[in-house]
Amino acid sequence: MIKSLIITHGNLGHELIQVAEKILEQKLDIEAIAFDWQGDGSDMIAQLEKFIAANKGHKIIIFTDMFGGSPSNIATRFINKNVEVLSGINLPGLLKFFCYEESSKNFMKTIKIVEQGAIEGINIISEYLGDKND
Amino acid sequence: MIEKTQIIINKLGLHARAAAKLSHLANMFNANIYLIYNEDKVNAKSLLGILTLAASIGNEIILQASGDDEQEAITAISDLFNRKFDEES
Repeated sequence: MIKSLIITHGNLGHELIQVAEKILEQKLDIEAIAFDWQGDGSDMIAQLEKFIAANKGHKIIIFTDMFGGSPSNIATRFINKNVEVLSGINLPGLLKFFCYEESSKNFMKTIKIVEQGAIEGINIISEYLGDKND
Repeated sequence: MIEKTQIIINKLGLHARAAAKLSHLANMFNANIYLIYNEDKVNAKSLLGILTLAASIGNEIILQASGDDEQEAITAISDLFNRKFDEES
């Protein structure tokens, strides 16, 4: 089973989870960690270490809000064969993750599918609808 | 394979919560189920797929199912549309 965690600047992660739970009408098995604006990241490192230790034996996906931001940079330190980071998570990506029924079978394939869902959720709508109407 | 034309009658159309309910319901059936709107055909078991239709109230879509429980699937899904996804009184 894939365990998931979302780490972001401020409460973005908590809010994303709350909205996804509202849409899917179910409690989601995911935790959120907010980056402490005043801190140096040590709190986040400690929480990540704790999460990874608590989920030993599982594959772990860490969603972050923005590539290059502190949460993402901190998460990157933990990448190994069981831990992967997907940056720039958005609502479509998160919904894709929880809807993807094969999620427990192939770790990297699942991450690719979620990445694709997140990217496909970004559209210039007039162009998208224009293309559809052409 | 069977098809049914369905008109969207709920105010918000195929928005996120409606799409979630629809995909959740579709996943309960073995049949392959598709929604067809204009030129687009999407898997009814995919929440994000349904959202790409951007279908609104008054739009006519085609429900298509093929498989051993195709009739039950179409009936249940059509019923969900007609109940306005249980979001309006």
